Amino acid sequence: MRDRWIFLLIVGVLAVGPFVQREVIATEILIFAVVALANNLILGYTGMLSFGQATFFGVGAYAAGLLTIHAGLPLPVVLAAATVLATGLAVLIGAVCVQRIGLYFIMLTFAFNQMFYFIAYSWTTLTGGEDGLPGVRRPAALADDLTFYVLVALLFLACLLLMKRVVDSPWGRVFRAIRDNEARAAAVGHDVRRYKLLSFTISAAFTGFAGALYSLLYGIVPIDAIHWLRSGDIVFMTLIGGSGHFFGPIIGAAFFIWLSETVSVVWDRWPMILGVVFALVVLFLRGGVVELIRRGHGLVTARGGAATAP
Amino acid sequence: MSALLEVRDVSKSFGAVAAVAGVSLAVTEGRLHSIIGPNGAGKTTLFNCITGEVQPTAGRILYDGRDITGLPPHALPALGIARSFQRTSIFPTLTVAENVWVSAYARRETRGGPVLVPADRVEGVGETVRAALAEVGLAAHAERPAAVLAHGDQRLLDFAIALAARPRLLLLDEPTAGLSRQETQRVIAYIGTLKGRYTIVLIEHKMDVVMTLSDRVSVMYFGRLLAEGTPPEIRGDARVREAYLGKRA
Repeated sequence: MRDRWIFLLIVGVLAVGPFVQREVIATEILIFAVVALANNLILGYTGMLSFGQATFFGVGAYAAGLLTIHAGLPLPVVLAAATVLATGLAVLIGAVCVQRIGLYFIMLTFAFNQMFYFIAYSWTTLTGGEDGLPGVRRPAALADDLTFYVLVALLFLACLLLMKRVVDSPWGRVFRAIRDNEARAAAVGHDVRRYKLLSFTISAAFTGFAGALYSLLYGIVPIDAIHWLRSGDIVFMTLIGGSGHFFGPIIGAAFFIWLSETVSVVWDRWPMILGVVFALVVLFLRGGVVELIRRGHGLVTARGGAATAP
Repeated sequence: MSALLEVRDVSKSFGAVAAVAGVSLAVTEGRLHSIIGPNGAGKTTLFNCITGEVQPTAGRILYDGRDITGLPPHALPALGIARSFQRTSIFPTLTVAENVWVSAYARRETRGGPVLVPADRVEGVGETVRAALAEVGLAAHAERPAAVLAHGDQRLLDFAIALAARPRLLLLDEPTAGLSRQETQRVIAYIGTLKGRYTIVLIEHKMDVVMTLSDRVSVMYFGRLLAEGTPPEIRGDARVREAYLGKRA
């Protein structure tokens, strides 16, 4: 019931989004909202911190870019192919990473990210290396930024509903059980590594899909798309928004992209603000912005209750 | 009566230390079989060999005639083996009902079915959850987060999680460890009600708990099996008195 209201609120915000922000920024926010939501499937729901989400974002972006430039395939095929590629890669990388837990899991995801970054960096004939991969053209019908925004908004809603469905499903509940108590989840009969791999792969699929949309947004795949700093940004977005709540990462992504795209124009040391915000969140607001909303709501209801009391 | 669980000459060494050295025992179907011994006797290591947490260095473990040595922990519930943990092991942020659901679903999962449906609508799991919660008397707390339950209630939830797997064999690792006297009484009374309905292996070091509940008792001492028998036999055994009960006997 509550989720339904939040969902309606999101639809409302999507409708006014391009009128309060430039279309491209609003679009970028939605793309990273998908990425942060997907990251929360593993971080918030399954309890796995990955520093390698940019691997799948970058691979999705490069795949979509290359297929558009060289093969000239129609958009749905490009998006599907990029997603499938990122998903397949996640099965392979994930199968190795889930063999380890905690710090070692994090380091493995990070190592694979570095590896794919250097592949992209050195294979200049394919990826353009440091200069990025330019010339990714959107189909004529989507050339207009507002039209592209509408498409991304619809795809964002589809991803949102699909991910909500995953977390409410038996899989989602087993993910949470593993996050809470891995040994017990195994003792009652769940193959924990298989479930972790499942969570990792679903997350990567959405991340790769978002990467594909990103390449079409600016018409270029910058090398940053696959850099490990990007992986760090994705973790920041998720935590600032709030990893304990399904919708939380959307707020984090919006805040992060808005800050990087608007404040960076005025002040190029903008990451300092981000650092301060992140430190404050970690110190005082573990649940992220969602926790702030929750506390605010609690305060209002408490006051309301006091007022009606005799 | 046949043995449901058989431990054959099992040893487990950690480096040069032999935690378990050549232990054999047979648990008869429908009985409550306790394994006792002072701290460091190797009870928990033996228990972990049975549950698949550690691999025995030598020996076999047979369940219902089948060799289960070295199977991973997650493979056992499907065979009908469930366990509880020495330190209460639940899913704290999940609700009480969800805790039990996770176990009931593991059993159901193997049969396949649609996956992207709301978890509570998976057929045949809800009834198991309700039955398990009613059995331990936690039905009224079903929708509360498990973390807020009292310590004794959490221990009962731990049992409910094990029971929801509909096991034949129940492995209980020091179920009264860390509980107050009152909570201990409650848990013992509860284990009494399970007797006869399940085959139970109970690891304990509290003598009184074991003597009132058990059909059969195995005593471990320094990694070896010192004696085995009915509670009165064990109580009368001079070696056990000397080794385990010490000066108190």
